Amino acid sequence: MKKLLLRTLLCILAAFVAALGMAQEDVTIRLSVWDGDKALETIRKIAHLFEQDNPHVKVKIENYDYTLYHQKMIITYAAGVAPDVVMMDGSHYQFLATRGALLPLNKFFEKSPGFDINEYYKPIVDSYTFHDQLYILPRDIAPIGLIYYNKKMFKNAGLPYPDGSWTWDFKIRPELKEKDFLWVCQQFTKQDKDGKYVQWGYAPGWPQMQADTYALQLGAPNYDNYAEPTKVLIDQPNHIKAFQFAADFANKLHLGPSNQESAGSLMLTTQQMFVQQKIAMYQNGIWEVPNMRKMLKPGSPEWFDWDVCLAPAYVGADGKPVRRYTTGGSGYAIMSSTKHPDLAWQLTKYFSGPVGMGEMAKAGIAQPAIRKLALTEGLWLPGKNTPLEEQYPHNRIATDQAVPYVVFDPTTQFGISVGDRINKGLEVLWNGQTTADKLLRENQTLAQNRLNDLRKQENLSPFNWTYAGLVALGIVAGILFWIYRPEFGRKLTQLERHDAKSGYKFLMPWLIGTAVFTLGPMILALLMSFADWDIIAPAKWRGVENFREIGVVDPSFWKSLSITAIYTVFSVGFGIVGSMALALLLNQKVRGVSLYRTLYYIPSITSAVAGSLIWMRVFNPDKGLLNLVLYGPNGKWPIGAALSQWIMGDVHKPVDWLQTESTAMPALILMSLWGVGGGTVIFLAGLQGIPQHYYEAATLDGAGIWARFKAVTLPLLTPTIFFSTITGLIGAFQAFTQAFVISNGTGAPNDATRFYVLHIFSAAFQSARMGYACALGWVLFVIVMVITLVQVKLGNRWVYYEAEAK
Amino acid sequence: MAIVDHTATEWKSAAKRAERIAIVLRVLLWVMLLAGVVASLAPFYLMIVMSLKTPGEVASTGPWELPRVLQWSNYEKILTNENAPFFMFLRNSIIIASVSTVGVLLSSSMVAYGFARLKFPGRDRLFILLLSTMMLPSIVTMVPQYVLWKYLGWVDTFYPLTIPAFFGGGAYNIFLLRQFLMGIPRDIDEAALLDGASHSQIFWNFMMPNMGPALATVGIFCFIYNWKDFQGPLIILNSPEKQTLELGLQTYRAMNQNQWELLMAGSVIVMIPIIFLFLAGQRYFVKGIVMTGIK
Repeated sequence: MKKLLLRTLLCILAAFVAALGMAQEDVTIRLSVWDGDKALETIRKIAHLFEQDNPHVKVKIENYDYTLYHQKMIITYAAGVAPDVVMMDGSHYQFLATRGALLPLNKFFEKSPGFDINEYYKPIVDSYTFHDQLYILPRDIAPIGLIYYNKKMFKNAGLPYPDGSWTWDFKIRPELKEKDFLWVCQQFTKQDKDGKYVQWGYAPGWPQMQADTYALQLGAPNYDNYAEPTKVLIDQPNHIKAFQFAADFANKLHLGPSNQESAGSLMLTTQQMFVQQKIAMYQNGIWEVPNMRKMLKPGSPEWFDWDVCLAPAYVGADGKPVRRYTTGGSGYAIMSSTKHPDLAWQLTKYFSGPVGMGEMAKAGIAQPAIRKLALTEGLWLPGKNTPLEEQYPHNRIATDQAVPYVVFDPTTQFGISVGDRINKGLEVLWNGQTTADKLLRENQTLAQNRLNDLRKQENLSPFNWTYAGLVALGIVAGILFWIYRPEFGRKLTQLERHDAKSGYKFLMPWLIGTAVFTLGPMILALLMSFADWDIIAPAKWRGVENFREIGVVDPSFWKSLSITAIYTVFSVGFGIVGSMALALLLNQKVRGVSLYRTLYYIPSITSAVAGSLIWMRVFNPDKGLLNLVLYGPNGKWPIGAALSQWIMGDVHKPVDWLQTESTAMPALILMSLWGVGGGTVIFLAGLQGIPQHYYEAATLDGAGIWARFKAVTLPLLTPTIFFSTITGLIGAFQAFTQAFVISNGTGAPNDATRFYVLHIFSAAFQSARMGYACALGWVLFVIVMVITLVQVKLGNRWVYYEAEAK
Repeated sequence: MAIVDHTATEWKSAAKRAERIAIVLRVLLWVMLLAGVVASLAPFYLMIVMSLKTPGEVASTGPWELPRVLQWSNYEKILTNENAPFFMFLRNSIIIASVSTVGVLLSSSMVAYGFARLKFPGRDRLFILLLSTMMLPSIVTMVPQYVLWKYLGWVDTFYPLTIPAFFGGGAYNIFLLRQFLMGIPRDIDEAALLDGASHSQIFWNFMMPNMGPALATVGIFCFIYNWKDFQGPLIILNSPEKQTLELGLQTYRAMNQNQWELLMAGSVIVMIPIIFLFLAGQRYFVKGIVMTGIK
């Protein structure tokens, strides 16, 4: 009996220890993705299934916005806090792989029994292979060669449903017109009685998709060689032709909605326009299916019959159709910083394997990258038992048909910052405010210069940190010398020494803080401004090249500096005049001053992000408050028409404030005046500090309202004006958030909202060019310092200090 | 007699005219002040109204029109979204803003005392250095600081957004508190010194209690500043569950382009706490501004 008891106890103890051991083995694997809300549901489900199969592993999903995704991966890797497994596509993996940030996957799958890389579609495997190593295990292949079409609209127009055998050549062929994509589009364009376009044939998911597809089909690539690019080719005639055509398609031919009509007036994505039956055809990848299903539930009032088919081919001079599609597609890669490479591989294989792909396929998000699965009925292709809602789209085989025509353009490690220049200002082209010929020729020069620079930098010598350290020490010594110069040769008494001791005790936090968080970084920034450093690979010595680039090469520097200066002058100028005027009004002994003060002040404390979102609606051309005031409720007021004529060059186009290059900055200035109440409070305090007897004396001398203002109020307010100007200028030069939110970090349209700080931010955290960003930063610091010092010097002449007058 | 009467009526009519002008001016003043109120509040009206509309109404109705049925479900959608946990964002904003406010209050008052009351070698030049850091744009140090955070392992933590506050607390705040301290008569602390009190005793027992209103001002400004900060969290915080309200709203927006009714509901949620805080503490705002004569 005793033995049994002991044995049981031992067993329990052993189990407990084992459990404890297992508990300690619990591992969390972080997985980052850029999927939207709907896809995330599925991702979480797959993660959950994985956790059930691997009880000691927790999967933590982290989702990021796609526009910042790759940059976040680069800088989190540099900072040592990167996720273990990352969703990745062709655009940035080479940059990370050449810097050793991604693990080559071959060694993992070579020792995984039952795993066969040949089951995956070959084009995508090839494109994810770099120097004979696979870096991304594809989860899907996503040709952007699908047209979603509205069967109801086709039926009503008396047109046969498209089967994908159409072409988009310019010839109208009477005998085959239903196969002529442009003719088909034309059948859907409709205007209302005022001549406003209200229905169109086709729109791409995003403007550049259409141009890229045409360029591919015309055989006009971006580079001469995608593996080792030496020449940028965007000024080739066919490239220009394709881009101009994509712009004219909407703006001149009215076969699709222009940017102005969709994003501007309606504030709808082209997808929402398709769902609202404003366009009959919509091009995108298959990943939009879950959204479509959600918005077009069978039986709901929004529902209409829809399907997908292949996007048109191009027929060249020789009469042969050329079919090429750009493509999305993505997969999972493993960061080399992971502490659990084998588990990370298990997770990768799970997500990019039958289970993960199966779930994604069932949700309609992604065509499996394993061809066998992509051809399985009931999994990807709709089968007999597929529920009604998941039957859509029926023609899912189109994705497999599209695969032979996909062209991957893996962005080389140079691609990130060259690509920025290739695509610079394209939104102006889509808005019809420039020609492809002019824009692409300019961009050609910019991009080629950048590529040449990058190739040259491969041979730079390493940055010498020893010398840099010595220079830093020299600077520190110089600062200390300046601080203590007046004390040289002075002897302290015992009391003074005691005082000095306590003085430094009180100053200690600030001294440490300034050294570590301000002066140290400033010196580091100065040193780094001579370096080329992507924060992962070792820094290289670039000499004064960064500064030369700022002055001569960088296409955005002068633009961003000048718009920032304009913003500063006007927002500070109007701001001071406005807040002073309001304060003078409030100072007229009105009842409820404090209530007004509060109400005026509130806008200046509200969130800048939320404020920017609200103002985007205020500036909306069609449904915005500003245009309501200018154009009147019927939209016909003369002032609005005059503005339209003047700014947009067309009486019928309402001004699209934030999307037009010439009005975007004035709009931001107007928005900044919303915060005028912040200054009012300061001026009010200044006014209340003016002794009443000054006014009484002036009145006795016979001074009127204006004379009193000139002789008493204004001079006594000069210190407040001076203070507001200085802090206002320093603040305005640092404007960032509103432009970041409104342009989504791009500074669109064509850098018109690219504040200087946004320019620095994007150099550092979007292009990973720390050295260059530091150089830009120092230039800003010098500018702000010079302006402030000049102001202080000038201020001595016009600012009136009472103490001096006495 | 007649002459006197004449001037009296003239005087009376002049007074009446003046009175009439005064009334007109008064009305004009009211109109202008009210116009200002409308201009500052109209965007808020727009936001609240839109946050309660359906997507269809956002697209088809005018900005000022009220929704037919109030769509409270927009708020529910936002608050229950697993991918943008707003309650978590709120918690993070509160932690970051309050911890750094505590840091700023402690350290800036200490340093201000040092500059205001003590004499030590290099003081004046150090004070010039302090003032000149005011014109240093924060982005200039943010890039190299990122390298520092990287080596300290502080990226994607709250440390870079809170710890520096304990080391100085900002040139501006130090300057403000120093000005305030200079206004407190020296007799009492000099008497205390003669009685053998140390500077830390004077600081804690005498200065801190007397700095109450100034500290409240600095504290509220600092809290709001940190709450509103977007650039710092944008650069430093990555994980979705670590983001602040400001950053979280932008993240949410990036994932839900053009769903304006939801974005406006999110904006309302982000704005409410700070507006309440301001209304509760505005007394100190105004006092602080009047006291120092500056922002």
